[in-house]
Amino acid sequence: MKEDILNTLRQQDAALRDAIRLSEQELPQMPADLNARVMGKGLTPNPSPMGEGNGHPVVRRLWTWVAAAASLLLLVGVGLTMMPEKQVPQGSPVVAEKVEKEPQQVNHGDCPHDTSEAMDQRDCPRESQPRQISAQPKKLKPKTVMAEQVIAQVENQSQTAHGDSSPDPSLSETYQENRPHEPKTLTERDIPITRPENYKYTAEEIALMKRQANEAYLKWVELELEIAKYNQEQTAQK
Amino acid sequence: MTETDLIEGLRRQSPKAQQETIDRYGREVFAQVVRLVAVTENAEEVYQDVFMKVFSNIGQHDAGRASLRTWISRIAYNETISFLRRKSAPTVYFDDYDRGIETLTDAEVDETLGHASQETVQLIRTALQHLPPEERALVTMFYYEEMSLKEIAYVTESIPTTVASRLCRTRKKLCRIIKMLQA
Repeated sequence: MKEDILNTLRQQDAALRDAIRLSEQELPQMPADLNARVMGKGLTPNPSPMGEGNGHPVVRRLWTWVAAAASLLLLVGVGLTMMPEKQVPQGSPVVAEKVEKEPQQVNHGDCPHDTSEAMDQRDCPRESQPRQISAQPKKLKPKTVMAEQVIAQVENQSQTAHGDSSPDPSLSETYQENRPHEPKTLTERDIPITRPENYKYTAEEIALMKRQANEAYLKWVELELEIAKYNQEQTAQK
Repeated sequence: MTETDLIEGLRRQSPKAQQETIDRYGREVFAQVVRLVAVTENAEEVYQDVFMKVFSNIGQHDAGRASLRTWISRIAYNETISFLRRKSAPTVYFDDYDRGIETLTDAEVDETLGHASQETVQLIRTALQHLPPEERALVTMFYYEEMSLKEIAYVTESIPTTVASRLCRTRKKLCRIIKMLQA
């Protein structure tokens, strides 16, 4: 009912219709290339956000996470590679294992060697484990062993020189057992000079170098004096 | 190409159908936008947004409720109003400060808007500029595009009776503005 009244009014309001028509005619015209620009911009959006063609953003997002995880793994790998060996936590257990193995050899006499008693063999070292595992630093045995070997060689040579072609092995063993334990301490001279802090001279070497420097200086002064005398003579002759 | 074929083509995202849609409805959409958005560059931006939404939301179009033309017009109306609210500076219109339109009689309004003299037409054109964008669009859709109340209600997301009430009120408002301009 109301729409009919309004339709009637629409026909009656001629001035209003003319005004709107004139206003519409004065509106700016649509640019001729606007539609081409709209189509050229590729206005072909996907109909739904989870559509078939929209897999690319999801894959792109997934690849981003994969790349981040790979970078993190690479960083961790590089960090572990660059870590110094003394910081590697496996270092101390190795020492402990070595200490644990020694008592097994020592206690072989106490433990049964029969294969049927394998369980007992495995149990025997465990009894002495608390006593053997200690926090003491590992002793530097190679130095002592080398000194003992040198002593043994010297003794063998002396025995050979005295004409004893058949030395008694029991005497040597007794000497080795009763000989006082004298570990040889290495001095700076035994260590090859590989680092700047090892470049040290003895007092004799320093005195020799000073003496040579003084002699070189005196020779240089004498040479200069001779040159000066020669120049004076040349000047006097002219 | 019929409208049904066009809609089917748009659903398949056929470039040919998209081009046909722009060719068929582009001029009306641009006029609808530039009517409210004065700057041409802004109107072109809104125009592009309108067709972007048309192509992306064609699945939401219900042919039983409105034709493709009305549906596109609805998108254009909403995009234009959104753009004005987003970008334009707040403007005070006639409705915001004058409440004297209730004193005008229907006879006065009919006499003023029905008298098709050149002076009256110019006064009405000036008065139209003092209306808010929504009312200007409403008057244009009803008087110039000759859309039905149902179509206007669909475009403005309202109901026909509300549209009719707003039209009557806008007529009185135009008459009031003209009286003020004459005075």
